[in-house]
Amino acid sequence: MHHITQIKTNDKYLVEQVLRGDNRAFETIIRNTEHLVAQIVGKMVPVIEDRKDLVQDIYLKTFHHLGTFKFQSKLSTWIAQISYNSCLSWLEKKKPLLPGNLHEGEDWPGYSTESQQNQSFTASESESLIFQKEMKSILHEEIKRLPVVYQTLIALFHHESLSYQELTQITGLPEGTVKSHLFRARKMLKENILSKYKKEAL
Amino acid sequence: MTNIHPRDKEIQEYALDRSACSPSLINHIESCTSCQEEVTSYQLLFAELTQGPETAFNFDVIGLVKPLLPVPEPLLSADRFIAGFLVVFISCCICIPLFLFSRNIIQMFSGIPPLFIYSMLGSAVLILLLKILDMYRKFRGQMRQLNYH
Repeated sequence: MHHITQIKTNDKYLVEQVLRGDNRAFETIIRNTEHLVAQIVGKMVPVIEDRKDLVQDIYLKTFHHLGTFKFQSKLSTWIAQISYNSCLSWLEKKKPLLPGNLHEGEDWPGYSTESQQNQSFTASESESLIFQKEMKSILHEEIKRLPVVYQTLIALFHHESLSYQELTQITGLPEGTVKSHLFRARKMLKENILSKYKKEAL
Repeated sequence: MTNIHPRDKEIQEYALDRSACSPSLINHIESCTSCQEEVTSYQLLFAELTQGPETAFNFDVIGLVKPLLPVPEPLLSADRFIAGFLVVFISCCICIPLFLFSRNIIQMFSGIPPLFIYSMLGSAVLILLLKILDMYRKFRGQMRQLNYH
C-alpha cells in the first residue's frame, strides 16, 4: 500500500513537472514506462517500422493529454491503456493486410524474442540445459501462436506482474473476461506444449 | 476428500495462489496424484512465463519522441509582456470613459425603441450561437482525426 502511494506521489510530481514545461521529466516518464509499452507493442505489432510510429504516437498522445490524467490509476497503467488502444486501432486498420485476426493465433514474421535468436546448442551443454532450452523454445513458439490479446494479457500478468484490476483498466475488458482469457490462454499453452513435447519425444 | 476432480480453472487458481482456494479443493489436490501432476505442470508453465525473455525496443525511444515535443516557453517572454500590457491598456480605454461618462451613456440609449434593442440583442445571440456550433463541429472533427479511441 505504501509502495503504491509512493508511486502515485512520484507520478504526481513528474506530471506536474511536465505540465510546468520540464521536458526532462517526460523523458523520465518514458524511461519508467518504456518496458511496459514494449511488452504491449511487441506482442501486438509485428512490423518494426510501424512500431516506431506507434511508440511516437503513444508518447505524443500521453504528452498532450497529461493534463487530463486524474491519478485514479498508476501513470504506467494509463500509458499502457493508451498503448493497448493504439495497438488495437493499428490492428483494425491493418487487418486486411495481416494474416489472422485478434482472435486467431498468428505467426508474426520479423518479431523474435531473445531465446529464439540464440538457438545454437553445443554438444558440451548438459542434457537438462538442452531440455530447458527446448522447453523455452517450444513455449515461445506456442505463445506466438496465441491470439494477440491473449499474448498481451499473458505477458502483462505473468511477466509484468500486473493485477487483474490493472489489466481491466488497460484493456477496458470486464474482470471476468480478463480472467477467462487468461485461463483459456494458459490451458491452450499447456495442452499445446504437452502434445508437442510428446510428439518430439516419440 | 471429494472424488470429483476439480476443473482446470480451479487447478490453475491453486497453482497460482494456494491460499485463495477453498479447504475442500486443497484437500482433494493434496491427496490426488493426477491433480498434483496437473498443478506441477501449471507451476512449471507459470515459472517459465515469469522468467520469459525481456522485451525491449531495439531503437532509442527518447531520441524518437524528444524532437517532437514542443519546446517549453520561458515564463516571462516578451510576447507575454506585450500581451499583458495590451490587456491593461484596453481595459483602461474601456473602463475610464465608462466611469466618467456613465450617465451620458445611459441617456444615449434612452430614446431607442425597445423592439430595436431586442432585435439587436437577438441577432447578436444568434450569431454567437452559430459561431459556438461551428467551433464545436470543428473540434469534433479534429478529435475524430486524432483517433484517440
